[in-house]
Amino acid sequence: MRHLKPLNQKADKVVKAVETDNMDEVRAMQTVVAGCASTLDPGWEVDPFGGVAALCQPMEADLYGCSDPCWWPAQVPDTINSYKDWNADADNAGKDWRSLGTVFPSDSET
Amino acid sequence: MRNLIAATAAVCLGLSALPALAKDLIVTVAKPDRLYVIDAKARTVETDCKLDFNLIPGVIAMSPDNRIAYILAGRWENVYGVDLETCETVFSAHQSDGDIRRKTIASLAVSKDGKEVYTVRNPVRILADRYEVLEPELAVYDTSAGLKAEPVRTFPAPRRMTVMATGRNGMLYAAGHEIYAIDPKTGETTIKIANKSWDRPTYSGPDVLAFWPIGTQADEFMLLYSAAVFTDESQSELADFIWGYESVDLTTGESEIEDFASFEVIMFSAIRDPNDKSKLYGVYTQLSKHDLETKELVKRVDLPHTYYCINISSDGKEIYVGGTNDDIGVYDAETLERIGEILLPSGGDMAAGTMHVISTGS
Repeated sequence: MRHLKPLNQKADKVVKAVETDNMDEVRAMQTVVAGCASTLDPGWEVDPFGGVAALCQPMEADLYGCSDPCWWPAQVPDTINSYKDWNADADNAGKDWRSLGTVFPSDSET
Repeated sequence: MRNLIAATAAVCLGLSALPALAKDLIVTVAKPDRLYVIDAKARTVETDCKLDFNLIPGVIAMSPDNRIAYILAGRWENVYGVDLETCETVFSAHQSDGDIRRKTIASLAVSKDGKEVYTVRNPVRILADRYEVLEPELAVYDTSAGLKAEPVRTFPAPRRMTVMATGRNGMLYAAGHEIYAIDPKTGETTIKIANKSWDRPTYSGPDVLAFWPIGTQADEFMLLYSAAVFTDESQSELADFIWGYESVDLTTGESEIEDFASFEVIMFSAIRDPNDKSKLYGVYTQLSKHDLETKELVKRVDLPHTYYCINISSDGKEIYVGGTNDDIGVYDAETLERIGEILLPSGGDMAAGTMHVISTGS
């Protein structure tokens, strides 16, 4: 591994696995989508009638009810496992949404 | 005057010797760290417990004597039992251990004798570069175990399990692909109400959103389902989208499943009148009242915003809508007029938390 440098978190974990003699746990996962989702609903884009009128009103009423269960994994950070404090300073989604930021892989605890 | 003096003396001596007046209390949670007990009729917060754990998702199951609120928290991993009088955490179970992470997707219930707490937990082994999904299991905890309880029994459980409830016959009812009946002593699992395997050739499979364990007022484990209905078994031509309800009576163990309306608006949760089970109330961005006998929509009103969770007073006269934001709306069950509102002092969202109604006094 002397001539290889990890470029992402996954590769970094492989390097650590080599160092700790855990390479038997490592395997390729080309076809697996690994997320926190307990469900795989499509998200906020469309309601059961093909429109948007029957989505939660307003969207902020739905925000934490969906992010707490990791219902919409693509649209909001995973507060179950990886970005636990994403909304720590925003207890009321309707009033505090301006303090909700974007997350990046380097912020992740995992 | 003598009576007045006697009454005054009784008040001065304290009312503890007198039976407490019966009243309904709303039990719910709100961000960032609050468990609230609310006098429903007075619209006032009676108890404000500051919790010392992360309360996500805030699924609550009450002990049968309504003294302890068991809360699924810790980002779906832990169960805490909180004494409503003292706000003290008297029970806890931390389900993850070492490299095994165990999440429970709303599957929390308490036995009717108050001696056991049940969860269905979904274990994942966290390896160096991936997760290894392990088999789900029913975990049985002894409620007298105090803090950091470990399961006294575990059994294999069906995958994709959500809310649960217990019957007075000792059975545990759980919603998954089917509505299951589980004997928590042996782990024996049978289908109580067929969902995925239902024998309805002209129907699609049912879609069930099972997230709020709220049927205790009407003593039932009740969920709504929606489905497409076709004109014949070829399922080529759509006839209707329908709403139905499925329920297990928690005293008799009898179950029922029946359609009651066309799918016109979404309903996230529903409750039946404990004194007249033909009246069903459902909530989302509208509050709807259905008559299950005539299968008619009695009335529907728009709400100020979406609410997830609904409940009802013991006399069936008031409807409470909560979850999502930081307010509980109170509606007249007859007219569906908004007659009150309770703002939670923390100002934090209830989000997906449960909103129970419990009765106290005599």
